Amino acid sequence: MEEYWQPLETERNDVEEKIGVYICECGPNIAENVNIDEVTEVVSSLPSVEVVERHKLLCSEDGKKFLKNSIQEHGLTRLVIAACSPKQHESTFMKVCEEAGLNPHLFQLVNIREQCAWIIEDKEKATERATRYVRAALRRIPYHRPLEKREIDCNPDVLVIGGGITGIETSLLLAGPDRKVFLVEKTSSLGGKLREFEKLSPNMESTERLLEQKIKDIEKNDNIKVYTDSEVKEVLGFLGNFIAVVKSREDDEEIEIKVGSVAVATGFDLYDPMKDSRYGYGKFDDVYTAMEFEKMNLDGKILLKNGQSPKSVAIIHCVGREERGYCSGVCCAYSLKLARYLKAKLPNVKVSNLYSELSVPGKVYQKFYEDTKCMGVDFIRAGGIEVEEKTIKYTTDDGKGKNLPVDMVILAAAIQPTGDASKLAEMLKISLDKKGFFTEEHEKLGPVSTSMEGIFIAGCAQGPKNVVDSIVQAGAVAGKILSSVIPGKKLEPEVRTSEISEAFCVGCQTCLEVCAYGAIYFDEMKRVSVVNEILCRGCGNCAASCPSGAASLKHFTTTQIHQEVVEALR
Amino acid sequence: MKAARIAVEGNIEETILDFLKKAMDKKLFDAILIPMAVPAGDSYAWVLTRDKLLLDEASSFPPIMSVQGAKAISSLTKRGKTNKKIAALMRPCEIRATIELSKLHQVELDNIFLISLDCPGVLPLKDWIKDPKRGADIFKEVMQHFVGGDLTSNKSVRPACTICHRFSDNGAADLHIGILGTKGEEIFFIPHSTQAEGILAALDLSLGDDFSSWQNSVDGIMEERKRKRAQVQEELKTKVVGLDHLLDAFDNCIGCHICQRVCPICFCRQCYFDSDKVKHPSDDYLMRAESKGSISILPDKIIFHLGRMSHMALSCVGCGACEDACPMSIKVAQIFSLIADRSQDLFNYIAGKSLEEPLPLRTYEEDELQIVETS
Repeated sequence: MEEYWQPLETERNDVEEKIGVYICECGPNIAENVNIDEVTEVVSSLPSVEVVERHKLLCSEDGKKFLKNSIQEHGLTRLVIAACSPKQHESTFMKVCEEAGLNPHLFQLVNIREQCAWIIEDKEKATERATRYVRAALRRIPYHRPLEKREIDCNPDVLVIGGGITGIETSLLLAGPDRKVFLVEKTSSLGGKLREFEKLSPNMESTERLLEQKIKDIEKNDNIKVYTDSEVKEVLGFLGNFIAVVKSREDDEEIEIKVGSVAVATGFDLYDPMKDSRYGYGKFDDVYTAMEFEKMNLDGKILLKNGQSPKSVAIIHCVGREERGYCSGVCCAYSLKLARYLKAKLPNVKVSNLYSELSVPGKVYQKFYEDTKCMGVDFIRAGGIEVEEKTIKYTTDDGKGKNLPVDMVILAAAIQPTGDASKLAEMLKISLDKKGFFTEEHEKLGPVSTSMEGIFIAGCAQGPKNVVDSIVQAGAVAGKILSSVIPGKKLEPEVRTSEISEAFCVGCQTCLEVCAYGAIYFDEMKRVSVVNEILCRGCGNCAASCPSGAASLKHFTTTQIHQEVVEALR
Repeated sequence: MKAARIAVEGNIEETILDFLKKAMDKKLFDAILIPMAVPAGDSYAWVLTRDKLLLDEASSFPPIMSVQGAKAISSLTKRGKTNKKIAALMRPCEIRATIELSKLHQVELDNIFLISLDCPGVLPLKDWIKDPKRGADIFKEVMQHFVGGDLTSNKSVRPACTICHRFSDNGAADLHIGILGTKGEEIFFIPHSTQAEGILAALDLSLGDDFSSWQNSVDGIMEERKRKRAQVQEELKTKVVGLDHLLDAFDNCIGCHICQRVCPICFCRQCYFDSDKVKHPSDDYLMRAESKGSISILPDKIIFHLGRMSHMALSCVGCGACEDACPMSIKVAQIFSLIADRSQDLFNYIAGKSLEEPLPLRTYEEDELQIVETS
């Protein structure tokens, strides 16, 4: 880490600077509300300004060519562009700098569109503000220093944690001649919770057929290495370069795996109805969770404790919804499926669904629900449910107390995070939401990404969902990985990273606690914090929280910001 | 909570030192960190000693706080934990600062056994240095009054001490020694860790439930101090609210930054406000002078205090070391305590109360992120 030893701030350069200022009209967007000629006039007289030019649309092909030629023609050493938001075209102009042979970090983009032209009605005021911002940038730019790009090798292989349907699907989509997949499953076989299901709603197709085909595909695929009875013990590293330790429970052996990305598909647990005594689970015979009933059905033994077939069965919906604080969105659908199992195997059985709200969205489930109803399955809107010996007490919508005698009770329990989710989250340095599911980077913009680049989440690990949605997310994760970790391609880590001065760091480790990317470690020998520049995403949390100013963010140093602010406020 | 009662033999100080000596005899501690009078007799310094005979010269209640104890422990363990068992006898504000520094990794508490005392306060350094002999007499009186639960000597101690309501057991030390409640006839050893319980047991001190006389006396003083604190802060507030008042309050600051040098919580290797980051090209100052008519040089006087305040208010223990050291007698400690109390309240945080309470600004709570709508 050479840069570690560089002084924190570059002093104002003694070499004669030639700064170019380019003002973009952005069609009518800026030109109509900012008097560009006036800005040009003020700015032209400022020190080191070599050239001030205006252009109709700098981001156009013509504009970029003009810019490149102008930079080279005037031999510019620094560049200020007044145009739109950096969010829109900073990278565009940085590329032009590179092509023109100017380090892209010796450039500053001033936003005079969103922050001036578009928001200030009075043209004179907008012009004054635009001038002020350009002056501020000119004051700041001498303090910029060139930052050099770095490239690192990128491992295309993938670690998939969890061998349920989501993990299986992710692995199958990703594995190929130039990409190996390591699939780690903690139980002894692949398939996850689906192994217990006879059929899948709403088409009631055989789960076994679907699953066995996929598992066969996995076994056939030489590029997928499956570790069953194994757990991931440690994951270190960053996008493109992770090292994972996988421990086999069988022989206690630990294997090291090198991958470029990680997909977390650890699935779910069912809410434990023991927590709520009113369901009588564990207290009375013949009260089962939905998973237990799936197993009975799969084994072909839908029998009461006394060995007889049930004559009446109640399925109680929404078990754990209140306690967990969310609707799992799948229980109503699988309750209908359980009712179908019952009707198929015991045609004369009386099946009652006790629900408080029904949730069967989607283009096919309404029909599935209506067809199930037509098979003679009862739907009762019930509140205040209390399960007692062979009977269920409940209240109807109009507040009347009722008793429903039944032989068997099935509890449609909610989906909740797996017990080891928090351990895994800590290991991967990704976060859990309040309910204990892994948190996505953004609900809509990054639903399968996490705060750690290169680590993705899919299926019920991210939140309750059905098989179809889990498979869709598996596809999304595969897409993300295929497009970001390309075999043979080098990764360009962020260069505007943080750096920590060994001379000033007092070792309080505040930065370690505020770093969301695990990009800072503590050097026990020197007793100072050190930045891992490849993991650092340049968010600036450490620089903001460091009491002694030892941490600073390249390209956003105190001096750079100070100079800009001073001029903006003058 | 339980406490061991010990009859005072000689005086309180001798009884405490005797306890430490016995503990050393039994190899319960390898060394003691304790204040001791300097050879000339006109000041006190921290000493680390493994020689139990030297403890005769030590002082469990030095009349002044020349160096905040947390700084002493920090310089001892900054480079890592000690392998020997060291007992440190300190005032409650020193213990609290030590706890804060431990959270900030400036103190390593492994093998350090913290002992706190009911604190009568300390004399201002400026008063003491004028006449140490007279100072010693005054402090004797302070001590006598305090042990009797009498606050008439409050006028003689540091202003920060006169409004200190955390002068007794804060539960943060391994062992607290209570000297209040029996007019100096008995003292109370209150253990807060299993280690402390073990040490008391090893010295055949049995724990009992009868320490209400101590508790009552502590509560009495605490009530009075809280009342006084509120009153003083209310008065002070009128003098420091708003930039103009604040500028007035720090008007005679000479920029020596001694307040920062002596502050146990200002642990930075170099203060940010002494660094080059706050030094600007002369053009900048000329520009500022031009826009304001004139600027005061040395510049950034108030920024230093405000910056220091924002850096340490959440960990400020109100020890008063800053104000004691200020050559211009600026009410630094009182102003900082005013802000510290309110900032710590915001986060339900009490600096130095417990090692388990995380530093507020290091804790991330999703609940904090709420959309604020202004109409």
